[in-house]
Amino acid sequence: MSAIDWYLVLATLLFCIGAFGVLARRNLILIVMSLELMLNAVNIALVAFSNFVPGVAGKGPIFALFVITIAAAEVTIGLAIVIANYRNRRSLQADSFDELKG
Amino acid sequence: MKAIITLIPLLPLFGFVVTLIFGKRFFGKRADVLAVAVVTVAWVLSMYVFYHVFTHREDALQVQLFGWIGSGSLHVTWGYYVDTLTAVMLLVVGTIGMLVHYYSIGYMRGDEGYYRFFAYLNLFMFAMFTLILANNYLLMFLGWEGVGLCSYLLIAFWFRKKSASQAGKKAFLVNRIGDFGFTLAMFLLILSVNTLQFTGVFAQVGSIGNTTLLAICLLLFMGAIGKSAQFPLHVWLPDAMEGPTPVSALIHAATMVNAGVYMVARSYPLFIHSHAAMLVVMSIGAFTAIYAALIALTQNDIKRVIAYSTVSSLGFMFMALGAGAWAAGIFYLLAHGFFKGLLFLASGSVIHAMSGEQDMRLMGGLRKKLPLTFWTMLTGAVAMAGIFPLSGFWAKDEIIGGAFRAGYYWVWVVGIVTAFVTAIYMGRLIFLTFWGENRAAAEVQHHIHESPKVMTVPLVLLAIPAAVLGMIVGLPPDGGWIHRFLEPVFFRVESEPFSWIGSGGLLMLVSLAVVLLGVYAAYVMYIRSRELPAELSKSFPWAYRASFNKFYMDEFYEVSVIRPVIDGADWLWTFFDVKVIDGSVNGLAWLWDRFARLIRPLQTGRVQNYAFAIFSGMFVLVIVLRWIWGS
Amino acid sequence: MPGGDFHPIAFSIIAAWILVCGIGVVTFKNIVHSAVSMVFCFLGVAAIYLLLNASLVAIIQLLVYVGAISVVILFAIMLTEAQEGEYRLFFNRQSIFAFPLTVAVAVVVTAILVSSRYPQPISLKSLTPNLKGLATLLFNVYVFPFELVSLVLLAAMIGAIVLARREDELQ
Repeated sequence: MSAIDWYLVLATLLFCIGAFGVLARRNLILIVMSLELMLNAVNIALVAFSNFVPGVAGKGPIFALFVITIAAAEVTIGLAIVIANYRNRRSLQADSFDELKG
Repeated sequence: MKAIITLIPLLPLFGFVVTLIFGKRFFGKRADVLAVAVVTVAWVLSMYVFYHVFTHREDALQVQLFGWIGSGSLHVTWGYYVDTLTAVMLLVVGTIGMLVHYYSIGYMRGDEGYYRFFAYLNLFMFAMFTLILANNYLLMFLGWEGVGLCSYLLIAFWFRKKSASQAGKKAFLVNRIGDFGFTLAMFLLILSVNTLQFTGVFAQVGSIGNTTLLAICLLLFMGAIGKSAQFPLHVWLPDAMEGPTPVSALIHAATMVNAGVYMVARSYPLFIHSHAAMLVVMSIGAFTAIYAALIALTQNDIKRVIAYSTVSSLGFMFMALGAGAWAAGIFYLLAHGFFKGLLFLASGSVIHAMSGEQDMRLMGGLRKKLPLTFWTMLTGAVAMAGIFPLSGFWAKDEIIGGAFRAGYYWVWVVGIVTAFVTAIYMGRLIFLTFWGENRAAAEVQHHIHESPKVMTVPLVLLAIPAAVLGMIVGLPPDGGWIHRFLEPVFFRVESEPFSWIGSGGLLMLVSLAVVLLGVYAAYVMYIRSRELPAELSKSFPWAYRASFNKFYMDEFYEVSVIRPVIDGADWLWTFFDVKVIDGSVNGLAWLWDRFARLIRPLQTGRVQNYAFAIFSGMFVLVIVLRWIWGS
Repeated sequence: MPGGDFHPIAFSIIAAWILVCGIGVVTFKNIVHSAVSMVFCFLGVAAIYLLLNASLVAIIQLLVYVGAISVVILFAIMLTEAQEGEYRLFFNRQSIFAFPLTVAVAVVVTAILVSSRYPQPISLKSLTPNLKGLATLLFNVYVFPFELVSLVLLAAMIGAIVLARREDELQ
């Protein structure tokens, strides 16, 4: 097990923790937070790869940089939507939004 | 010359298309003009071709238009073959076809389907010409089917009348049964000699095995039985009288029904090698002849009597062909075309005068009021009965005389008896219609008038050949002009002349005597002692009923064929179609519905559930990619 | 045990820190506790980046994630009502199944990672370029996505403003 494997395992575990949050929690904002966890996990993996694999030396951090940027934009929009929704429905429970049922 | 031959069927086809498409709007009341013009030109061309054949007898004219079917080694062309036999047919079809067209101008005046009638008549002419001009069995079959179609269209012309449309259907269906035989015969021909061209088939007759040849001939004859209304496929012809009288005259007397006879005559090289087939032809012809004549004795509808007499006459023609008197049969065909066509057209004139009445029991005394009709119809009747010296006598006598000389004595007996019965019912027809007091309602009697010239002129034009044609072309019997004319097709005329003094003349006297006896019997029954027929039918009720009910043939068909088919179809509908087919289709839909209802809960509308599905799918994919897929 | 630029002790501590905070995010009842836990988690991730010699990413992580995203999230929490109640109200019905699934995925992927061999030799030394090198890459090879991202940010900004406006302000 080389160095990179450690980082990758860490990324995997963090990703799964975040996934659990997305799948199992009810609060919408909390779901967004768990989503950020997953994105961070991915970033760790990206940087780890570029750090240890000769072929992709500088690309990891660049990619991670873009991910972070886009994540910021995405959080903004996502929370704007959640808040707009909250204003109409007064609820942040993810399982109460089931109009598209059936 | 080739162009002329091609034009003969082509012109009526053109007439049909134009009249059908534009007839209603553009021609209106004058829809007949193009149709009649076209047929007249076709007649002129036919006469020209006839003249040409007349002067060049030995070589048959051939026209190949285009290759029609090329499948493997079978090649069927669209081409025409004109020899002396074709020329005779052209004479009959062209002349009578043209006269019927003119007659129809008067007869069908005012009918709302005027343009349609002429269009169909033209279509019929196209089909009939194609039939007789064809140089191969398939093209002949095309014309064969075409005339069958036109028969249906024209019988059911007044389609709003239920009986008419049913009669049309009956004609077509019964015909179809015969066509089945024709088709099988063609298949056998393809199998055995790999060609349907007449020249090809006849050249290879020797190579066909005896049983195959017998089968081919019998199957071909089956087609003829259907088309020419022989027993047991005769049932459509009397019902076909539902159609307008010109139709009856043209199709069911002079042309279409002759197609069967023509086909057998054309297949002479095939039949001549199959003695058994010829026996069958002769027997069925003979049986039909007397069978139909017996029925005609008691019918009251004037057209039906003539219809049954047609069936009987056709029987005579087949009798001739089967007995080996080929030229005699064609001679009778030629003469019959004229006098039977005449009889129908004249009866149409009578019906026209009687404001549509067709029942002879309500007629009478018309001979003073409809002189032209009377004399022409009388001519036709005399010819039909076979009284010297009109054409019918020569032709009919040649046939039964030929049968006797060939050794078929029982056929001669049947022929003689039929001639006797024929004389009786023809006499009956004439006496009931034209003699005595008119028995119709006063209203009808007021309107009795002679028909317009456009109807009576054809009558006269037909009466002339009905009277004299026999003497012109038929003498001396078995060696006359027509026999020599048909030599290239059939066989050399025997050099031994007809013995006027010996057996030939004797037989002639016998048949003449029998016929005159029949006429006298009719005179007695319908003029002298009017109560006699009624008394006779009371004394022999079963005989009367059997004859009047056409020996129950229609009832037999109803029970044996029609009911089982209809009931079978009914069962198929209620059980198979409704339960099985509808059931499975509906069942499939029901199944699908249940399935959809089952699956529906998967769509919860909640995004987290969907995310779960995605995540678990990814899990499965990871496992598959790592351990299962690839090495 | 790999040598070179890998520092096992430092890594273990920081890794544990991250994982614990992560579990905290998804487990706390109080959403503010989750948010704070998330901030600490981000800090830990920044430290990992430093271990990986990617100082640029670490700094950006701090600036953006800790500095901006966390703030936005906290604002959102502030604007919405928190919910009180029992624990099970916070987890939905499918969490019973989500937990084993997540664990299974973690286990399986870890197993795969641990047992795989790499086609090319893995360097032991850290390969991440320094700031100058990264800048060269970013503004030469990847300048196009760089410019595009600014467009995305603009769109996001506008979108957020439009979406979050109050109804009566829309005239």
